[in-house]
Amino acid sequence: MDKEQIYAVVKKYILENLEDLQDSDIDPQKSMKDYGANSLDIIEVVSCSMRELKIKIPRSELADIKTIDELADKFLANMSAEANQ
Amino acid sequence: MKDIVKIEVLNNGIAHLRMQDEEHKNTFSDDFVDAVIAGLDKLENEHNPKVCILSGLPDVFSGGADKQNLMDLCDGKIHVKDLLISERIVNTPFPIIAAMEGHAVGGGLIMAVCSDMVVAARESRYGVVFMNMGFTPGIGCTELLANLVGPFIANEMMYTGKCYKGKELAEKGIQINYIVPKAEVPAKAENIALQISEKSVKSISLLKHALSAKKKQQLITARVQEDFMHRLSFGFPETRKTIEEHYGK
Repeated sequence: MDKEQIYAVVKKYILENLEDLQDSDIDPQKSMKDYGANSLDIIEVVSCSMRELKIKIPRSELADIKTIDELADKFLANMSAEANQ
Repeated sequence: MKDIVKIEVLNNGIAHLRMQDEEHKNTFSDDFVDAVIAGLDKLENEHNPKVCILSGLPDVFSGGADKQNLMDLCDGKIHVKDLLISERIVNTPFPIIAAMEGHAVGGGLIMAVCSDMVVAARESRYGVVFMNMGFTPGIGCTELLANLVGPFIANEMMYTGKCYKGKELAEKGIQINYIVPKAEVPAKAENIALQISEKSVKSISLLKHALSAKKKQQLITARVQEDFMHRLSFGFPETRKTIEEHYGK
């Protein structure tokens, strides 16, 4: 799976969980908080995405992530590391 | 510094208890539990209101468990204080309307479950996350949550630990009185309170006594089974690690 596909999964759950948001509104360089997400919304988006991508990253490793793009990068790195094991 | 709890009583017998611990997001610290109970004691003993609106912060009604208390449970220190809030709410002589503008998680949601009427927000999230942290539900959850959402949705909420948006719960057709846009929550709760305030305070108290009998019994049952499960589940070696992970070190 490449980063575009991972980003598509994350975006799907952002659209599902946040209010009044269109596909074209989402800029990966922004944070979910910029679109009105609170901490519980973010947990839901991240949990659903990880479930679909079949990965599990501890919450502490996600704490410093600032943007949607960085989240997709983190998921990609985790999937690549898993694949190489 | 603001008080954890603010009480206001109007001439028409409507009381308002606001939980406003912004720093800790209304989580169940010892101070928080003491303040809520003291607030309800004060209302009962000094004001004898007809009805009470219980509300939180705009973003958080209550965040539920406090990390320190959970770690104490892991260390084998018995700590049953959180159940005291549930019992106190059920035992008031006046009905309580939980006005949940913001999220209610774990014990926070159970405060609403123990109340007599509940108004929730479509945009906010509600859930019981005990199992996400590795231990079994407490605070009366196993017995009382089904009253609010029905037994099968309660099962799903407890097993998955998912926090549902109010609008998702509305689509499930559950028993919450009103699930309205967040901005409309206070007015909706006040409207219910106003209708109740027109009634006789003595009859209100009688009715509360009768209607809360089942919940009181459920809390007694819950205390026995939940304490037993906690003794086991807080002793699992992985539980401490999961709690640390959940709250972040």
